Amino acid sequence: MIRTLVVDDEAPARAKLQRWLSEQEDIEVIATVSDGLAAADAIAAASPQVVFLDIQMPGMSGLEVAAQLDADTAPLLVFVTAHDEHAIKAFELNAIDYLLKPYDKDRLLRTLGRIRSRLVAPKAVGNAVRTARMQLGPSERLLVPEGEKLRPIECESIQWLQADDNYVHVHTQGRAYLLRRTLQDLLEQLGEERFVRIHKSTAINLAEVHSLEPLFKGDYDVLLRSGQRVRMSRRYKDALFARMGR
Amino acid sequence: MHDLAASTPTLTAQIGAFHGRILLGAWCLFWVLMIVISVQEHVVDGGNRWWEPFVWEGSSAVSASTLAWLMLRYLAGPSAGAPGQWLRRLLPWLPLLCVIFFATNFSLRYGIYALANAHYSHEPWSHMFLYESLKFFLFFGLWTGIVFGLHSFTQWREQNERLQRLQKALAEAQLAQLKAQLRPHFLFNALNTISSVMQVDVARADRLLTRLADLLRISLTAGERDTVPLQEELRLLQLYASIMEERFTDRVSVRWRIPEEMLGVPIPTLLLQPLLENAFKHGVEPSTAPQVIDICAHRDDTTLHVMIRNTCAKNPDFGREGVGLRNCRERLHVLYGDAATLSLTGGHGEVTATVSLPVSGVHA
Repeated sequence: MIRTLVVDDEAPARAKLQRWLSEQEDIEVIATVSDGLAAADAIAAASPQVVFLDIQMPGMSGLEVAAQLDADTAPLLVFVTAHDEHAIKAFELNAIDYLLKPYDKDRLLRTLGRIRSRLVAPKAVGNAVRTARMQLGPSERLLVPEGEKLRPIECESIQWLQADDNYVHVHTQGRAYLLRRTLQDLLEQLGEERFVRIHKSTAINLAEVHSLEPLFKGDYDVLLRSGQRVRMSRRYKDALFARMGR
Repeated sequence: MHDLAASTPTLTAQIGAFHGRILLGAWCLFWVLMIVISVQEHVVDGGNRWWEPFVWEGSSAVSASTLAWLMLRYLAGPSAGAPGQWLRRLLPWLPLLCVIFFATNFSLRYGIYALANAHYSHEPWSHMFLYESLKFFLFFGLWTGIVFGLHSFTQWREQNERLQRLQKALAEAQLAQLKAQLRPHFLFNALNTISSVMQVDVARADRLLTRLADLLRISLTAGERDTVPLQEELRLLQLYASIMEERFTDRVSVRWRIPEEMLGVPIPTLLLQPLLENAFKHGVEPSTAPQVIDICAHRDDTTLHVMIRNTCAKNPDFGREGVGLRNCRERLHVLYGDAATLSLTGGHGEVTATVSLPVSGVHA
C-alpha cells in the first residue's frame, strides 16, 4: 500500500481527492489535513510516501512546507494548485509532479501511474523539495519540534547549528532544538546569505559573530554575541573571512 | 457644479481668465472702431469739429464700460450659476441701467463741452433719450449674447470633462471587476469547487455553476449604467459570497443585515464588490480559524451608510491600498464630490470598510 497524505485548505477539494484516491487498491490515505503546519506535523509523525500538497494555504504555503523537508528523505510530493504561474514553470523545468485545479480522473490516474513507477525506481526525477526552495529562496522560518508538534521559529533568531550524526542541534537564545536533518541539507534550506559553515559539523549565523580568537595551527575560536565559543577549522577560515570582508 | 469647480479649480480659472482677456480685447476694439467710424463720418460730411463725435462716442464708451464692469462685478458675476440664471438675474436691472447710461453720458458730454467753453447743441431730450436707449439696448443685446455664448461654452466644456472622467472611472471599475471574476485564482478555484462538489451532490454543483455564470454575466453588462439600486449591487455580492462560502465551507459565515427600505437607494455600479473581495482575501483566505463577514446598511436623513466588516487573524495593514479601493474612491468623488466617503477602520482582528453616500443620488 502506498501511504498517502492529502493537504488542502478547502474541504470540497480534500473530499474529492480522498474519494478518488480511496478507489485505488494500492493507495491508503493515512490522513487529510487543512493547513501547512498540520501537513508538516503529519509528514513528521506518519512518514507518508506520497503527499498531495495544495500550494495556496493559510499560515504556511505548500511550497514553504516542502522547503522544510529533508531533500534526500522527503516523501514524493505532488503539488496541487489552481494557479501559480511561476511555480508551475519551475515544476515543469524540474519534472516535478503537479495537478492543476480543476483536474479530472484521467489526469489523476496519470499522476498515480508516475508515482508508482517512481516508488519503484526512486531519484530518477527532479527533486520537489529543492525545486520549492529554489522558488522561495532561503526560508525565513524554520519548523522545529516542540513536544509532539512542529513550531515555526524565525531563522534570524538561530545563533548556530551543530551537526550530530543525522541530527542537527539548532541553537537559539537560551534554547536548542534537535532536528532530524543533515547539516548540509539544512544549510541548503536556510541559504548562505545568513549562515556560513565554519567546521565539518558547525555553522554560524553571521550576524551573531562577536570576535575571533586565533589558536594554534591556524585554527580559530569564534566568539558569538551570546558568549558561546565555537571552533573554526582552518579549512573554512578563508570562506568566513571573505564573508566578513577581511 | 460646485463640487467640480472645487475639484478642478485651475481648469475653471484658466478658462475664465482666458475668456476674460478675449472679452476685454474685443470690448476695447469695439469702442475704438465706434469712435473712428463716427469721427470719419463727421469729416466726410464736411464737419470740422472732429472732437465732437469723439466726445460723444468716448463718453458712451466710458459710461458703458463702467456699467459693464458694475454688472459683471456686482449684479451677475460670470462665474456664478448657469448661463440662463445669469441672464434672468440681469434682466430686471435693464431699465435702471439704461437710465444711468443716459444720465452719465450726458453729464460727461456737458462737462467736457463746458471745459472746452463750447455749447453742446443736440436734438430735443425726448429724441435723444430714445436714440441713446436704442443704442444701449442694441449694444447690450450684442454683448450679452457674446458673454452668454462664452459662458455656455465654458460650462459645456466642464460638463463634457466631468462626463468623460465619469465614463473613464466606470470603465476602469468594470475592467477591474471583470479581471477580478476572471482572475485565475477565483475562477479556477470556483471551477474546482464545482468539480469537487459534483461528485457527491449534482444539484448543489449545478446551483454553483449557475451562480458562477450569473456572476460572469452581470460583470459583463455592469458597465452600462453609472448607478444601480442597492438591491442589484447586493445581488452581485450574494452571488460572489455564495461561491466563496462553498469553497471555504467551514471557515466563514456571511451575515446580511440590509433593511428593506434601503434596497432602492441608487449606488455606483460595482462599488461594493471589491470591498467584499478584500474581506475574503485578507480575512478568510489567510486564516485557518473561522471568520465572520458582516454586510449591513443604515441611513440617516440624507446619507446611506454601507458597511462591510470582516474579522481576520492578523492585524490589518492599512498602509497600502490596492487598485480596487483607489478606483472606488475615484468614482465616489466624480459622482458625489465631497458628499460621499469611503473609509477603512479597524485593528484588533477586524476591518470595516464603510461607504457613505447621499440618498438623493448623483448630483446633476
